[in-house]
Amino acid sequence: MKRMLILVALFLLAVATVSYGADAVKIGVVGPRTGPAAATGKAFEEGIALAVDALNAKGGVLGKPVEIVFEDTAGVPEKAASGFEKLITRDKVAIIVGESHSSSALAEIEVANRYKVPFIISEAWHDDITKKGYKWVFRAGPANSGVVDFYIAPFVKDNGFKKVVIVRENSDWGVGIAERTEMNLKRMQIPYNTLKVERESKDFYTELTKIKADNPDILLAYIYGTGLHFFLAQANEVGLTPKALLLDGAGPPSLWDTFWKNVGNAGELELFMSSMHEKVHFTPASKIFWEAYKKKFGKDPTDYKSRSIYNVILVAADAVNRAKSTNNEAIVAALEKTNLEVTTGHVKFGLKPGSYEYHQWMPPMLVVQWQDKKQIVVYPKEAATGSLKKGK
Amino acid sequence: MSEFLLYLINGIVIGVINAISAIGVSLIVGIMKVVNFAHGELFIFAGYFSYHLSQSLGLPPLVAMFVAVGLTFLVGLLMEWTLIRPTYGDDMRSLIITFILSIVLQNAALLIFGPYPLKPPALIGGATNLFGLFYYGNQRLISFFISLAVLFLIFYLLKRTWFGKAIRAISQDRQMASMIGIDHWKMNTFSFGLGAALAGVAGVIVAPIFPVTPSGSAAISLTAFVIVVLGGMGSLKGCIIGGLLLGLIENLGAAYISTMYRNIFAFIILILVLVIRPWGLFGQKA
Amino acid sequence: MEKQKLSVLVLAVVFGGMALFPPFLLSQYWLHVMIISLFYVMMASSWNLIAGYTGQVSFAHAAFAGIGAYASGILSVFFGLSPWLGIPIGSAVSALLGLAVGYLCIRMGGIYLSLTTLGFSEILRIIITNEDNWTRGTMGLQVPGLFAEYSKTSYYYLFLVVAILVLILLYRLIHSDLGLSFRAVLNDETAASSSGINTVRIRIIAFTISSAIAGLAGGLYGHYVMLISPDVPSLGQMFLVLAMAVIGGMGSFAGPIIGAFLLEILSEYIRIYGEYHVLFYGLVALTITRFAPDGLMAVAGKFSGKKRVGVETL
Repeated sequence: MKRMLILVALFLLAVATVSYGADAVKIGVVGPRTGPAAATGKAFEEGIALAVDALNAKGGVLGKPVEIVFEDTAGVPEKAASGFEKLITRDKVAIIVGESHSSSALAEIEVANRYKVPFIISEAWHDDITKKGYKWVFRAGPANSGVVDFYIAPFVKDNGFKKVVIVRENSDWGVGIAERTEMNLKRMQIPYNTLKVERESKDFYTELTKIKADNPDILLAYIYGTGLHFFLAQANEVGLTPKALLLDGAGPPSLWDTFWKNVGNAGELELFMSSMHEKVHFTPASKIFWEAYKKKFGKDPTDYKSRSIYNVILVAADAVNRAKSTNNEAIVAALEKTNLEVTTGHVKFGLKPGSYEYHQWMPPMLVVQWQDKKQIVVYPKEAATGSLKKGK
Repeated sequence: MSEFLLYLINGIVIGVINAISAIGVSLIVGIMKVVNFAHGELFIFAGYFSYHLSQSLGLPPLVAMFVAVGLTFLVGLLMEWTLIRPTYGDDMRSLIITFILSIVLQNAALLIFGPYPLKPPALIGGATNLFGLFYYGNQRLISFFISLAVLFLIFYLLKRTWFGKAIRAISQDRQMASMIGIDHWKMNTFSFGLGAALAGVAGVIVAPIFPVTPSGSAAISLTAFVIVVLGGMGSLKGCIIGGLLLGLIENLGAAYISTMYRNIFAFIILILVLVIRPWGLFGQKA
Repeated sequence: MEKQKLSVLVLAVVFGGMALFPPFLLSQYWLHVMIISLFYVMMASSWNLIAGYTGQVSFAHAAFAGIGAYASGILSVFFGLSPWLGIPIGSAVSALLGLAVGYLCIRMGGIYLSLTTLGFSEILRIIITNEDNWTRGTMGLQVPGLFAEYSKTSYYYLFLVVAILVLILLYRLIHSDLGLSFRAVLNDETAASSSGINTVRIRIIAFTISSAIAGLAGGLYGHYVMLISPDVPSLGQMFLVLAMAVIGGMGSFAGPIIGAFLLEILSEYIRIYGEYHVLFYGLVALTITRFAPDGLMAVAGKFSGKKRVGVETL
């Protein structure tokens, strides 16, 4: 039976494929190369390239060149988990870093735990990721609680905003950060309202009309994706902004290439979270990154996620080097002892289990405002390059 | 009260634009009995063409829009000639082939145009104070008037010109039409191209308001299908009434019932119509 | 009789081989690929029952898999029910909904059926995405696995056994009197109904059975990857299933099986270069539908000099 033989042949083909390990140290990266946040995937690619350059110039990892395998999550938790698993079973990586979606990260840490592979998160902010207390999971990036408690909430309070509207997307990150914000606002006794939106929505007129009736003076927009562009543009059209200011709670969408094209003048006076600014260099490593980026890509770095991934790769490489092996237990032990200078500060992971601060390092963040199409840091005061402008 | 008026106006504006898109589908269904699943992709391709023509080639926005529609028309002709024509008569096969084509074009769009939403320049910026009650985007208003103009044009084309009469003849009785000398093969190709062009018209009208993305095409196709089914396959009047109804139901529903379920109203309408009155409001009972 | 004995022998060798070799020869990674392929075998073959054998192009197949997955998942997460019970229940739920949908739209046929199933699929996806209290929407629902201790080998055998049972069921069905009616309806509906076949009833039965199988496959899949998201009942998944059946050969029994294995294994190779495998499959499926509408099986058949009369059996 010809047909059955085809089946058998295919089968043997699959069987015959055995992967031989190459002689390099492999680090896996997970992130969205396709989907609504594909721009982050591009930023990751840039950061990865720079990190590989930097590491291999110094002799690689464990004396061998370092190889990065970047697996696409498409921003979907299922694909994220299966991609994560592939990095372990197919590519046999020593350690995995990355991720910029909380929902994907929450799925991936389960796989990391099952296979006992170290995983360093760069930009997935949900508290539970580290709060769950998995010993294989680390985070060298922001956590919702850190971002809200230390930056967003004090920013709102210090600048005298009286009425807040929270707009949040239907994702783990959106839900988490909104809840934390509500908690803080309640404590500070600032009145607020919360609205849910779909991340992929394009028409927000209905929601915006409802918001306008509230007469807020600041909108906290927790939408990670191009949905933010439409939201901002339409908020401007209905006259909500710039009378009320809008804060992009994630940050990168306000920095993507298409931001100004999509929002036009509505971008003026918009606020966004960031951890990178050309005038604010937390460490010498930050300047080195900036220069290397300009040299390699011929422009200024814009999306701070390129820097986050660069950081975590360095952290991973450093740990493997100190562990002097690719053994998972050794790497985890080495990670816990990390004291490394990266572009945003000195990485040191918390060691007390029970809260989100376990295996967590919170980098400093900035609140930036677009003024005349220039990025002006307006918070915290120590890092400010200008002052906050409110709209009329 | 002013909010209700805003939702109403939004519904009408969006409804009229969607009606044009629906006519594109209805035309092809009426003439060829083929549901063009790749409709949404033609819509976004037109948007992308319009963007690149004005951004990369520097054509003035209005010219870019026209050229983009023309290109989409040609793409439609090509599609019909290479893929649809051989499946003519085999309902299942043409359904499958346009579905596959839709997926291929979606992925091709991602590859060619990239994942970022692209917005061709608006013809006019800012907002107008309507009735002294609220601000409404100017581009939306312009699009509304352009859509009305296009609809009048289509009406004229179908009711007054020979071509329009031929289309109506074929959709009623193909054999008869060919017996009186209408070359129905050429009509097929041309109608498909026209259907594609209408998708393109809707695309270039909408793109300056809502930027185009590769993942947005499925929703566009589905909206058009719902309108066609609601209004009745092959009925021009049905597309317009259907488009308005859908626009109103969606906007009012989203405002007063639930914003999260905005997209579900269309599908509920679809299923209700198919179950209760499959030939729609103004369609012919098969 | 000789031919039949040969077929049985080949089948025994193939299935015996599949039972014995993979867990010992394949890496965890490829074992995973095999398991996923078996999932798609069940999906593509059951879709083929209604599309290939009764001519109804349903776009709700992935949705039924999603129903099976979420039903079982929710029962296990919120009510502590064991997946071993949850999965059959999920399959039953899918079957019931399949019966309902089938009953509603079978009378219409053709375009209307396809549009209704499309609408149904999207409604389901939107509800699942929004009712995040139960489903956790796009964040994904984490569900327990089927075995106390995670073992890919165990999952592999489970999927293999269920897939074989499903295929046997489908085979017997197609070769039964009922199956004969299916094909009669496909080939000439008017003739079929005038010879007393209740075409509507036939199609509803086929639709129900196929939904039940999709629900079963979905439930197994959910508890294997231990994470269920709205991606399962999505049109993207629907497309993959359709492409597998189309490329392999709709209306042939082995077609969807070959299509499922081929596309799944190939996608792993293509993925190395990026996420182009969907585009690639689309182009291949397009070419095949245009030039060789009966899929690879027909092409292979031509080479072995077989003649095809209508819809064939193996």
